[in-house]
Amino acid sequence: MAQPENANPLVFQRSKERQILPEEEDDNVVDKIDDREVFDLIRSINDPEHPLSLEELNVVEESKVKVDDDRNEVDISFTPTIPHCSMATLIGLAIRVKLLRTLPARFKVQVEITPGSHVSEKAINKQLADKERVAAALENPHLLNVINQCLGGRPQ
Amino acid sequence: MMEIKEVCSLPGHEEVAWGVAWNPSGTLLASAGSDKVVRIWAQEGDKWVCKSVLADAHARTVRAVCWSPCGNYLASASFDATTSIWSRKGGEFECIATLEGHENEVKSVSWSSSGSLLATCSRDKSVWIWEVNDTEEYECASVLSAHVQDVKQVRWHPTKELLASCSYDDTIKMFKEDNDDWCCFTTLKSHTSTVWSIAFDKTGSRLASCSDDKTVKIWQEYLPGNPEGIATKDNEPVWKCVCTLGGYHNRAIYAIDWNHRTGDIVTADGDNYIRIFRENECSDKNAPTFDLVASVRQAHTQDVNSVSWNPVADLLASCSDDGSVKIWRIVTTQ
Amino acid sequence: MASNFSGVLQLTDLDDFIMPSQECIKPVKIEKKTGKLGKIRIEDDGTYFSVSETGEEKKLEKAKVTLNDCLACSGCITSAESILITQQSHEELYRILQENKLLIEGGKEQETKTVVVSVSPQARASLAVKYNLTLDTVVQKLTGFLKKLGVHYVFDTSFARNFSLIESCHEFVKRFYDSETSPQALPMLTSACPGWVCYAEKTHGSYILPYISTTRSPQQMMGALVKDYFATRINCSPAQIYHVTVMPCFDKKLEASRSDFYSDVYHTRDVDCVITSVEVQAMLEKESISLADVEDMPIDTELSHHKDGVLVNHAGGGSGGYLEHVAQYAVKVLHNSVLSSINYRVMRNADFKEVVIETEGKPTLKFAQAYGFRNIQNIVQKIKRKKCDYHFVEIMACPSGCNNGGAQIRPEVESPKDRFQQVEELYRNQACLLPSEVSEVERLYREWLGGTGSEKAMRMLHTKYHGVEKTMNILNIKW
Repeated sequence: MAQPENANPLVFQRSKERQILPEEEDDNVVDKIDDREVFDLIRSINDPEHPLSLEELNVVEESKVKVDDDRNEVDISFTPTIPHCSMATLIGLAIRVKLLRTLPARFKVQVEITPGSHVSEKAINKQLADKERVAAALENPHLLNVINQCLGGRPQ
Repeated sequence: MMEIKEVCSLPGHEEVAWGVAWNPSGTLLASAGSDKVVRIWAQEGDKWVCKSVLADAHARTVRAVCWSPCGNYLASASFDATTSIWSRKGGEFECIATLEGHENEVKSVSWSSSGSLLATCSRDKSVWIWEVNDTEEYECASVLSAHVQDVKQVRWHPTKELLASCSYDDTIKMFKEDNDDWCCFTTLKSHTSTVWSIAFDKTGSRLASCSDDKTVKIWQEYLPGNPEGIATKDNEPVWKCVCTLGGYHNRAIYAIDWNHRTGDIVTADGDNYIRIFRENECSDKNAPTFDLVASVRQAHTQDVNSVSWNPVADLLASCSDDGSVKIWRIVTTQ
Repeated sequence: MASNFSGVLQLTDLDDFIMPSQECIKPVKIEKKTGKLGKIRIEDDGTYFSVSETGEEKKLEKAKVTLNDCLACSGCITSAESILITQQSHEELYRILQENKLLIEGGKEQETKTVVVSVSPQARASLAVKYNLTLDTVVQKLTGFLKKLGVHYVFDTSFARNFSLIESCHEFVKRFYDSETSPQALPMLTSACPGWVCYAEKTHGSYILPYISTTRSPQQMMGALVKDYFATRINCSPAQIYHVTVMPCFDKKLEASRSDFYSDVYHTRDVDCVITSVEVQAMLEKESISLADVEDMPIDTELSHHKDGVLVNHAGGGSGGYLEHVAQYAVKVLHNSVLSSINYRVMRNADFKEVVIETEGKPTLKFAQAYGFRNIQNIVQKIKRKKCDYHFVEIMACPSGCNNGGAQIRPEVESPKDRFQQVEELYRNQACLLPSEVSEVERLYREWLGGTGSEKAMRMLHTKYHGVEKTMNILNIKW
């Protein structure tokens, strides 16, 4: 692969593993999906260019994951490492795909760039929100391969 | 009071169901899905059943389907960059042609009222017009690169050879034949995000559009020399947005269809809703108002991708990300 | 951003939604700097600064993409355009002429370049209509204008077209005989239109390329004539000649930039710079002069298609007349007969015409003209399905052909259609000469190339095509 655009990104500390509370293991309590749970789904996604996770690159942060279980809404903002990062759409797609595969289908997921953090923010947000293009993208085996690598799966 | 009652939910598509279309006599419903097939549904007794599965023509998602005006042909548009033409003989469907040329995903297909022209559109930003000759051969009559982004849908005028298309570039464009080639004669701008779907009314002098901006817009045609005094240019009709329906939809609106018998407009959206709007009888033609007359919350368990009015009966078909195809009956009570 | 390329090229690989700044996805090699990079700051003007941990600031260089990167890339074509503007423009011609002037002033005359400009007949017709002059006047005025700027020789590309037509005829007959054993010999598709060739290479690769005639276009024939024959004749190295063509079409710049037309030995291109009809207009405007007011000078007839010093043309229409010349030659050689007239039958639209030649009432040879993307599509699809029964197709990317080229001067008042009609009429009303009637061409075959079909003739007059592989770099995948 070509040289990463941001050759020496800042690396951030990973957050601690989540404490499992006793009521979560109690099947009688309705377990609502919360911010932290969704963050846990996406924090370990690999960056397409670096051997680092999105959390380690501070691309995703728990504070930028908003979940409203009652309204079936998940809103995520992610922050590309550099403002002209050409991987931004790919990272957004990886986050979206991860959630498509793991969250209950009832959820409406929005994945956007943290405002002001990318030169093509509007265009990328629009593309990521276009379900038809996302669906078509996932039928492209080459793209799917890259996404699967980001998601930690084996290349097909 | 109007009510939308579920007649049946038809399982069959293994993945996302993207498009539904009734045949002209309203007896057959075609549906298309990510499982790469087209399903044909018909009524048997009082049950709707799957009569045929049209497989092996597409290598990827089938995005949309459209019946020819005679009802003997069905066109299917696919993400595999091709459009297939199916011929119906008796109960059997046979793929008789594959239209190649688009660079990538074909998003929509539409047959002109005469049946001799077919339009397709794609993420490659182009709209293609195909001509059908007597020997069932399809030739490219025009490639129109008017849009600057992904083209989401194409729809022919109900009687004239006039084509409308809508796009990710937030616009709607209209095309007609000029001497030897087709050209875009007007661009309808008002939506602030992707225009997902469009539908002409019965007369073809109005167009309804729906968008990612969560609004529905009604556009009215004004001919040169119109009594209202709306200015026209180059002796071409102008299309003006005469009504915007905002505040009803909470998410992107993916499909719209205009009932040519009743005049009602149906929409389908990313909030799992189906809604029906009706023009207020006492509203001004040049500034019409539309009322929400019926809606179904959770029409499907996920996004509703397509809706289609049955051309002869008070029936409606819809399909969804959840893979289901549903048939609804419109019931009006005093 | 509106592109100047022909519609065909704009349609190729246009599946990018990303705005121009992000459009190019060609991976660029970057000199790896050791040490921590720290932060990157963007200035309002779009320049990037790296700020190291110690606060040291350094302006970052912009990655540059060359035209060859663009041509070899299966991605967008848009980036190629901005590069071309810097490499091939009338500004470049001015720069060379200025350099020559400075060298002369500095007493280094031997280091100057010999500037040769070869003008296409379509560009002349466009200028003639624009300035309301006769074609003969335009020839003289344009020569006068160019020479006054410091150009040494002005030629006419129709002269080179004699070679393109002759080679096309020979190639067709050879392919016709080969077609008995070789399924990809026919139909033979013309190669003079670079927009079409580039499209075929980028999208249809091995399906279509074998059918495309290997005969060079007139522009590139002219390149061989100027940089090989003429350079030798005036006793200078090919690199010492700066060869400019004046063309009706922006895509010709892409053609001139192909590596096939670059000499590794002399480090020079057959055509160094392509300027277009609209650019000539811009040059005239820059000099604040109307073409009508320029002093006349005679064109250099040595490499011009002329009769008694007056330029002539080829029959068969504004795109070179390939169909007519090939049809006539084929009938002569294959049927041992003479084609008295050519009857075009307009098919689906005016840009798709058919010529059927019958012998004893039976159709034996089928020719077609297919202009514009829609007609190209139908031909390409028919070939792919093995349903194309034409023997020869004259293909041009622009609707109505080269006189309607994308870089022809657009009208201010009348409709583009009316303007085209005028250009076409002017173009068609010239006297014509067959390539076989030009004794100079015959002499060059004999003396320069060592006869028709010689190794040198094949090298100088033919070229190759290269399918562009879809690269699967992750950044390259647009969705």
